[in-house]
Amino acid sequence: MAGAIGFMIRLQIKTRVQYRVAFLLNRLAQIIAYASAFSAIWVLIHKFETLAGWRWPELALLLSFQLLGYGVGAALSFTQMRDLEDSVRSGRFDTLLVKPFSPWAYLVFSGLNLGYIGHIVLAVGMLVWSLSAVAIDWTVFRVSYALAALASSAALVCSMLTMIGACAFVLTRSRYLYSIFFGLWELTRYPLNLFPAPLQWLLLTALPMGFMNYVPVAYLLGKPIVVVGELGGVLAPLAGPLLVGLAVLQWRYCIRRYQGAGG
Amino acid sequence: MYGAVAQSAFQTQLAYRSQLWAHIFGQFIQVFFKIAIWQSVFGSLAQVDGVSLPQMITYAVLAGTVLSAWEWARLIQGIDVAISTGDIAVFLLKPLHYPLYLLASECGNLCFRVVAIVVPIVLTVALSYGLLPPASLLHGAAFLVFWALSFLIQFLLSLLFGLLAFWLMTAFSLEWLLQGLLALLSGSFVPLWFFPDSVTALVRHLPFAWIGFYPVAVYLGKLTPPQVFAYLALGVVWAAILGSGVLVLWRRATLRITVQGG
Amino acid sequence: MPPIIEASAVSKSFRQHKRFPGVLGALKSLFTQQFTEVMAVDGISFEIGRGEAVGYLGPNGAGKSTMIKMLTGILLPTSGSVCVLGRIPHAERSRNARQIGVVFGQRSQLWWDLPLVDSFELHRRIYKIPADRYRDNLARFSEVLALGPFLERPVRQLSLGQRMRAEVVMALLHDPQILFLDEPTIGLDVVAKDAVRRFLREVNRERGVTVILTTHDLQDIEQICPRLIVVNEAKLLFDGPLSLLRSALGSKRRLKLEFAADPGPVELPYAKLVSDAGALKHYLIEREDVSLVAVLSDLRDRADLKDLSLEEPSIEELIRSVYAGGDAQGRMSAAPPRGV
Repeated sequence: MAGAIGFMIRLQIKTRVQYRVAFLLNRLAQIIAYASAFSAIWVLIHKFETLAGWRWPELALLLSFQLLGYGVGAALSFTQMRDLEDSVRSGRFDTLLVKPFSPWAYLVFSGLNLGYIGHIVLAVGMLVWSLSAVAIDWTVFRVSYALAALASSAALVCSMLTMIGACAFVLTRSRYLYSIFFGLWELTRYPLNLFPAPLQWLLLTALPMGFMNYVPVAYLLGKPIVVVGELGGVLAPLAGPLLVGLAVLQWRYCIRRYQGAGG
Repeated sequence: MYGAVAQSAFQTQLAYRSQLWAHIFGQFIQVFFKIAIWQSVFGSLAQVDGVSLPQMITYAVLAGTVLSAWEWARLIQGIDVAISTGDIAVFLLKPLHYPLYLLASECGNLCFRVVAIVVPIVLTVALSYGLLPPASLLHGAAFLVFWALSFLIQFLLSLLFGLLAFWLMTAFSLEWLLQGLLALLSGSFVPLWFFPDSVTALVRHLPFAWIGFYPVAVYLGKLTPPQVFAYLALGVVWAAILGSGVLVLWRRATLRITVQGG
Repeated sequence: MPPIIEASAVSKSFRQHKRFPGVLGALKSLFTQQFTEVMAVDGISFEIGRGEAVGYLGPNGAGKSTMIKMLTGILLPTSGSVCVLGRIPHAERSRNARQIGVVFGQRSQLWWDLPLVDSFELHRRIYKIPADRYRDNLARFSEVLALGPFLERPVRQLSLGQRMRAEVVMALLHDPQILFLDEPTIGLDVVAKDAVRRFLREVNRERGVTVILTTHDLQDIEQICPRLIVVNEAKLLFDGPLSLLRSALGSKRRLKLEFAADPGPVELPYAKLVSDAGALKHYLIEREDVSLVAVLSDLRDRADLKDLSLEEPSIEELIRSVYAGGDAQGRMSAAPPRGV
């Protein structure tokens, strides 16, 4: 299985290299777009100095966590799941069910989106800068925690997008659900203590995007965490794996229903 | 004839119902989190740089929802698709000019989104946080004119970028680029009053500023009547520049299609 | 010998969203959903032995693709059971998948932007084909279907015919026991169709691969499959050799004669005149033993004959007559012989 996956990644790279100029232009455009959006926040802080008690380097750390987790997680899910709806309708997905291979793995790796490199480059750049500008005493524990939280963040995004994608097996139209995801995802650019309590609860329970960046970064910075408080520190690296488990169950259920197996 | 095109666009939108609910939800989130941000940064301050919190709440709704109601990205995508499928050649043969057809179609789209999305949100915010009325009758009327200009400039910009895609072979990067420029420079989130002094002169004179910032600045009475007319004129100049850019590119595109056959 | 594929009273029904008309209807469907049941396969049973080549024939919407999906493990029957290679295909999906090959006529499994050989290489890794077996199969199949010049070309540059040949090759690289094909010759030009048919016939006869083929092109059946199963509107209508079907229904071939100018009445002893438009005359030949050669030799003295065509009844005509022919139907649905 690993051999086939490795080969699929190689094939993706080979495809992108063919269109390398367009690929680079697209990456540049995306980096500019995200940088502009982040600059708007910078302009705001430049005028008002803090946002909900967070200064710019701290916000930059928050943003970089969000973008990095998203970049990695979405590379393994977004375009593949978004196009799943069409694939199911056209019957193309059926060709995956007749291979002796995990349909999820084939779908994800054959469509691995290397386009997220732009996001990752920008996020890593911001991460490196903000880590040096922020007042954290870096111990081995804190470094490993940050890495675990980032991995969990990517897993979280991947799971959530996969769960939306799986809806394509049971609903005729499910693409609009992504708008809901991205609407809420944009909120995680800001510290959650900014928002009214119901929204905080939503982003830390039903749609636990708050664990992508707000909770681990607030923990690392020693800031109080809304809703989950002391538990936040522990929950952040666990949220990802937990959601992965949920996503696996839901994916299997949805495919069984698609096949008429009655779930 | 253009009226029929607009109406048809309106009805097509009605067909995509579930998408609509998601968009309404998304827009609600957008406006409420912006209001939350302004409330937070203003804190107990009565005003910052001569702007009060109630004014910023009104700003958030007008610039963030009303003036951003039209989905410019779909226009670029539509042109991209028309170019790659060759449909664009079909429009060349029609008696109506393609850009005008698009304008009529997008007007229909805008009307739909105003009715379906903007109205509910404006009402909700008005009833919960309260919205300020226009600073005066003149400012109110001028706002409507600026709104139309904002739509026109958005339309021309996305048409321009869409046509550029014809040569650059990539609509994707142009769409993202425009998105970035608008996020920062249109004033749909952070008003241009709050920008650093070093860039404010430049930013206030780019065409993007007429998309979000100036219409609301006019509405809130931040511009005196002479200034209103001055900036209206300047906005029209920008629209004319963009419009001629579009016509030039359009003619070149037409030429290239007829010579090369798409 | 146990059958390699066994379908017992298989049925499959789907739920479809009811659409409400008008604007009010559109608003209504924002809030409620209602369904109708659509029966795609209705109580169909058959057995297929190892090494057979069976055509699964029917007009569009007859439920052919649904049956293939159940045989390959994509869908589960609503009732009844399917047994392939001694297993329930859906239950042991992966193990079953290793021993079958599937070609979908209108859904490509090839990677669009990359050279054809890359898709094959991926296939090799997914099916864990031993390197030498892969090389041998690829070499042999590419030679038969003349894929050699295209192996290095990006799939997007290949014609539909070339792509379909490649798909068939790919489906056989791992030496499957059964090859399923869902409308493989749709949209292909005559040359490509011919190449694919010949190849499938060879694969079946010389390698003993069981071939199941859905189509609505009778020629596919005639060239490849001694046995055919006819379905229409979800039900099984006929299961047996094509010759039996023809003789059961009485083959009605259409003879079209086109003359340079109206030659007056033209009589043929074995053909019934259907329409006479002067220079263009249509006949119906009901006898099976009359061949095109016989007709030509009869008309060879006619210098004014411009064009001649002899057409087989189309599958639609056969199906229609299947419904119409009461007696014939009775004869067909009783214990049909298998063509092994």
